[in-house]
Amino acid sequence: MAMIEVERLTKKYRERVAIDALTFQIQEGKIVGFLGPNGAGKSTTMKILTGFMPATEGKARVAGFDVFEKPLEAKRQIGYLPETPPLYPELTVRGFLKFVAELKGVPRGQVKSEIDRVAKGTGITSELDRLNSALSKGYRQRVGIAQALIGNPKLLILDEPTEGLDPRQRAEVLQLIKGLAGQHTVVLSTHILAEVKTICEQVLIIHRGKIVADESMANLTGGRENGLEEKFIQLTAT
Amino acid sequence: MRNILAIAKKEMTVYLTTPWAWIVFTFVSFVSSFFFIGLLVQFKQAHEQIRLMQGGWEQVGAEAQFLRNLTDGVVMPLYSTMLVVLLFVVPFLSARLFAEERRQKTFELLMTAPVTSTEIVLGKYLGGLVIIGATVSVTLVYPLVLAMFGSSFSATTSEKTATLEWVTVLLGFGALVLFGATVLAIGSFVSSLTESVIVAGLITFAVCLVWMIVKIVAPNADEPWRSVLDHLAFDVQLRNPMRGVFELKPLVFFSSVIATFLVLTHRSVESRRWV
Repeated sequence: MAMIEVERLTKKYRERVAIDALTFQIQEGKIVGFLGPNGAGKSTTMKILTGFMPATEGKARVAGFDVFEKPLEAKRQIGYLPETPPLYPELTVRGFLKFVAELKGVPRGQVKSEIDRVAKGTGITSELDRLNSALSKGYRQRVGIAQALIGNPKLLILDEPTEGLDPRQRAEVLQLIKGLAGQHTVVLSTHILAEVKTICEQVLIIHRGKIVADESMANLTGGRENGLEEKFIQLTAT
Repeated sequence: MRNILAIAKKEMTVYLTTPWAWIVFTFVSFVSSFFFIGLLVQFKQAHEQIRLMQGGWEQVGAEAQFLRNLTDGVVMPLYSTMLVVLLFVVPFLSARLFAEERRQKTFELLMTAPVTSTEIVLGKYLGGLVIIGATVSVTLVYPLVLAMFGSSFSATTSEKTATLEWVTVLLGFGALVLFGATVLAIGSFVSSLTESVIVAGLITFAVCLVWMIVKIVAPNADEPWRSVLDHLAFDVQLRNPMRGVFELKPLVFFSSVIATFLVLTHRSVESRRWV
């Protein structure tokens, strides 16, 4: 079953075309890397899929729900980590996750166990009673991912989840995302190719608002060591 | 409903775990206690003078008759000054409601969560309203103090009577809350338009100040504007409830203003999705 179906999706900011008639599908259970140079339209696509803003033209469906016609149903299927983790600095991590659980309609009796579950999964159990504002960058990112995991959504959309982390934290977060495979469909955007190589099964490359590659990792690299880099540079050259 | 309460609870938590609400509570207690003491001294002096006069209250002009009892002589003037205090503190509270979310980039969380814009607006408004209710409730301590320690005697029979007219006091209290709720609704709308908390606060204050004293701003207005301004001005609408006269008109007026600005806030939040 296709978890994400996008048809001729277009977004214009006044005259500037951010994404231009994107069409692609993402199958359930896959980890998909969403690549492209800065400003290619990755974040815009993700913001449309999560219902943060509407497209100018075209259709997008998440788990069969049109994100424009049935926004609430579509949003219930999605856990989203925006570029900047949306943490309220005044709340504790626990208070914040509780708030998110209530917003996502986690049944009252299960809120506590749900918080414990995602905290364990992202390794933030020891930080639960600290204020969000006191967290290091790495922990902020983890809390952001924990927040996306609440309610066990089918689809995770992570916008540059490793941005601004040190190499060790990067490896940890990637390991964490890899561990989510199977239970969730994961779409993550990044411009760091090495990360994609280690965890993604399918790669979408977007350049100047258009899809320039939509293939499995093996096909794209052709089995060569530097295949992905070569391909990326070749496809985004113009 | 659960979403509304969750958002309201979050707003209250933020107000109460940061200095925002506490600054307001402290400021309101400080200022209102000054006015309370001043009004009490004035009240006491008036009564001492009257006692020395032949004929007592009968000799005093109509403009000073309100000093005869504690309700009209102390509590209601105190509540009238509280209106001005609210004009300062409510914009301070309302300014962060939406502007801060945008600045902290947390609005994306609300907008991508399975909640409607209506629930976001109502939840935030409700959270702010509880804090404003608490702020106004701080001033309930003064009528309570008067009821405990004050005393009042019937003018004709010299029998002891109830110290305060509670119906009047509560009407004034209700008018204060209603006014606070109105400024909060205007403030929510302004806050939804900007990313800057300071700009939101200042604009809300300016709008409400002009709206409050629009009669002073335009003293020479001709008909029909004169009547229009008469009906629109906050201070004109508040005059009767602040004298203990219950009317449906101010209630309808302020409810309409609140509803209008909540709808505008909703439109503004929705329009954010379209830029």
